[in-house]
Amino acid sequence: MTPGGLLLLAAACLLAAIGLGPRFERPALAFTLCGTFAGLLAALPVLFGPVDWEWKTSFLLGGEKVHLLLDGVSAVFLVLVSVIGGAGAVYAREYWPASHYPASAGRGRAWWSALVLCMGLVLVVCNGLHFLIVWEAFALCGYFLITLENRSPEVRKAGWLYLAASHAGTLGLFAFFGALAARAGTWDLGPMRNAEGMAPLFWLVLFGFGMKAGFFPCHIWLPSAHANAPSHVSAIMSGVAIKMGVYGIVRFSGWLPVPATAGYVVIGLGATSAILGIAFALTQNDLKRLLAYCSVENIGILLIGLGGALLARAHGNALWGRLALAGMFLHVWNHGLFKSLLFFGAGSVLHATGKREMSRLGGLWRSMPWTAGLFAVGAVAVSGLPPLNGFVSEWFIYLGLFDAVATRSAFAWAAMPAAIMLAMAGALALASFTKAGAIVFLGAPRTMAAVDAHECGLWMRGPMMALAAACLAIGIAPASLWTPISRAVGSWHSPWVLQAPPTPLQTLGSVQLVLAMVAAAAGVWLWRKVRVNGACRNLTWDCGYAEPVPSMQYTSGSFAGIAGGWFFWIFLPERKLRRPRGPFPDKALRLERTPDTVLERVIAPSAGFITRLSTLVRGFQHGRLQSYILYLLAGLAAVGILVYFGTTK
Amino acid sequence: MIAATLLRLALWVLLAPLLPGIINKVKAWVAGRQGPPVLQLYFDLARLWQKSVVLSTLVSPAFVAAPAVAWVAVAGAAMLVPLGPLGAALSFRGDVLLMVYLLALARFCTAWAALETGSAFEGMGAAREVSYAVLSEAAVFAAMLSLSVQTGSVSLHAMLAPVSGAGTVLLAAGLFSVLLAENCRVPFDDPNTHLELTMIHEAMVLDHSGPPLAVILHGASMKLLLFATILTEAVLPTTGLAPLAVAGVVFAGVLIVTVGVGLTESLLARFAFRRVPMLLTMAFLLCLFSLLVAWKGGVA
Repeated sequence: MTPGGLLLLAAACLLAAIGLGPRFERPALAFTLCGTFAGLLAALPVLFGPVDWEWKTSFLLGGEKVHLLLDGVSAVFLVLVSVIGGAGAVYAREYWPASHYPASAGRGRAWWSALVLCMGLVLVVCNGLHFLIVWEAFALCGYFLITLENRSPEVRKAGWLYLAASHAGTLGLFAFFGALAARAGTWDLGPMRNAEGMAPLFWLVLFGFGMKAGFFPCHIWLPSAHANAPSHVSAIMSGVAIKMGVYGIVRFSGWLPVPATAGYVVIGLGATSAILGIAFALTQNDLKRLLAYCSVENIGILLIGLGGALLARAHGNALWGRLALAGMFLHVWNHGLFKSLLFFGAGSVLHATGKREMSRLGGLWRSMPWTAGLFAVGAVAVSGLPPLNGFVSEWFIYLGLFDAVATRSAFAWAAMPAAIMLAMAGALALASFTKAGAIVFLGAPRTMAAVDAHECGLWMRGPMMALAAACLAIGIAPASLWTPISRAVGSWHSPWVLQAPPTPLQTLGSVQLVLAMVAAAAGVWLWRKVRVNGACRNLTWDCGYAEPVPSMQYTSGSFAGIAGGWFFWIFLPERKLRRPRGPFPDKALRLERTPDTVLERVIAPSAGFITRLSTLVRGFQHGRLQSYILYLLAGLAAVGILVYFGTTK
Repeated sequence: MIAATLLRLALWVLLAPLLPGIINKVKAWVAGRQGPPVLQLYFDLARLWQKSVVLSTLVSPAFVAAPAVAWVAVAGAAMLVPLGPLGAALSFRGDVLLMVYLLALARFCTAWAALETGSAFEGMGAAREVSYAVLSEAAVFAAMLSLSVQTGSVSLHAMLAPVSGAGTVLLAAGLFSVLLAENCRVPFDDPNTHLELTMIHEAMVLDHSGPPLAVILHGASMKLLLFATILTEAVLPTTGLAPLAVAGVVFAGVLIVTVGVGLTESLLARFAFRRVPMLLTMAFLLCLFSLLVAWKGGVA
């Protein structure tokens, strides 16, 4: 079948799943899986073959001809949509079943399929007007999925914030597509690299899609939406939906001319998001908020790659730009995979204990060994450590940045700080995820809920295992992905098509394979050595505590204390302290919360000011007729005075 | 190829425990004591390898597996380091990044194993380790960028054969500070203290015993040798010398660095923890300035 036929099949299956979703669970799941699988199959021939799939019709929709295009760039994203769309649908079967959520389970299935369908449409639609329509539909599907559990006020608030932020971005997109259509004379989209006067539109692209992508400081909706949504929804929102924003930026920076400073701005935004995103993640106590902030970091990494590519394209197509861009495309996949894996892991913890606060968990590896192990795999991958996939994409981006610095030219001023900040972000990510993994899964359970936890079933475990396997597979065989990645790079900027994979990539793959095998063997071997030597179990020694209790363990707050202190200037944490007083102190308390600085210190106060101003103005409209007549007379008098004293020339 | 790699690995494995012995001998010599024999760590390792193990009731099998993975990671990083005329076991474009991230993998495993026990001391040690690593990672990357700019390469093999320039002194000072921090030496950490509250690395391994502890100690000594080798090769211009002379120079350099660590430890007290970040920032700035010097024309 051609990609077109497969896409049609995918759309039909997803439409069927939308229709069946509210009532019939198994057929809906089967149709969703068929649809996502067909979407994946449609993307593969485009990625592994030389030709794009394009479909121009004379069929009018809203007065515009339907025009669809699946090229290298959109196919990369379509693969991600399909994989996570399928995995999440399977996961939701056990995570959000009708037996527990009778009101929302069916609705959830339908909106899920609708979200996957709309994201797929965003990727293939090639007309400005239609793009706006499917973009809005995609945003709305996200809203209804986030607010599945709409009885909770927190969830409603998070959904509202998401909707507001999303529409602020859409406003920018309306302006962008409107201006684009006005200047190009058509709503039809396509490469216009040489068009004049288009370059400033890039700033609208950056804002409009940036609100969805969620780089710092446009990330305001991310933490609360991802934390309060059901976990499979968080997984697709964090792993895939925010990538739609990245897709927009990548797409239109490839098709349109960009301002000369765009590369510097993008790389700067990326480096800032990487550091601040992960610094905020480190201080969170809510597991899912931590993961959400980590997404801000990863969007930053993507932007560093894209910024490098923009700089290189503007300065004579240097090779390092390709490397950075290839790293970015690979990281799109990698982040989608491991972030969904981690959110699924967080979901099973939530499913088993009902808690997201890390300081209420602990010791879960005993009751949930599979979840613990798979979460650990995700943690290694997200920290960018070998031998998993996160390292490969960061390696590409680093190589690009190192090469850029080695040129000793002006743009090294951007690449040098970016490389160092990326390294620091990597180290902070390691800190965040040792914390997240260890506080949740290791040590002793801190509450009864953590004691009574249970392992999740196969429907939840299966998708997690598949994603973890994908993380490992990309880590040990990155060269096999070179063809699709270079295809996407070539679609973004045609002179950059690369044929053969760079040899270090194959070497790196084999090294990672050997490393993974040797490390596994060494672990098993040492374990057996310990068994042979004889091992006895006893209390944690900890320098001689006779009876350690769970509350004596290190907490997530104390773990983050040192590095968190360095970012005090931006965190502005809220602290509540009651010291123990008197010879027989009864209660002491120390609470610390890190609010989102941009949302709660900047946007909320300024929005409050606008609200107060509006309330003041509203005082003029009170429904008393006498006063209205007075306004009328005053207005007439003012006009009269103007006419009487005014002079005409 | 495989035989050569195994021989090289044997060299690393056998030589590494010598370094802590030399450091301790230097310290004893400065203090006017006789001190433990230079081969003390070998004896300790042999003894620990035979011992049975006490495991905390809380720990998972990863508590034992993590030190093994960390050791493999450090050994893998060591295989990427060129040894003077011998070259590296494997050299490719971008291997420097793999080396740095393998050391990070080792850090992840050590911290993970420490947190397995649910002990506050070990949690504290792990928190310190991963937090200070943020700054030392920045310093390492600045140093590696500096070498990369000097030599125009992203492969350790070429990067570690620099031409000496004005930035070399800065780089040496920066990398030496990073060496002290990453290997938990005075003034960042005191490997011999008996007060758990003031430790980083030793606090993380409080609950390890027997073979896993032996693996951790040996891995730490290999990491020290790795940093000493890199520091030597990054600073000494050895291009143009005969292979045997290069080997001699590198060996002497590592010895000097080791003695330097011992002297630092004898002459300096451990810093208060709140001053450690400042010291690390200084190390970062030293590396950064060496990068700027290399970039803006210290050497061609």
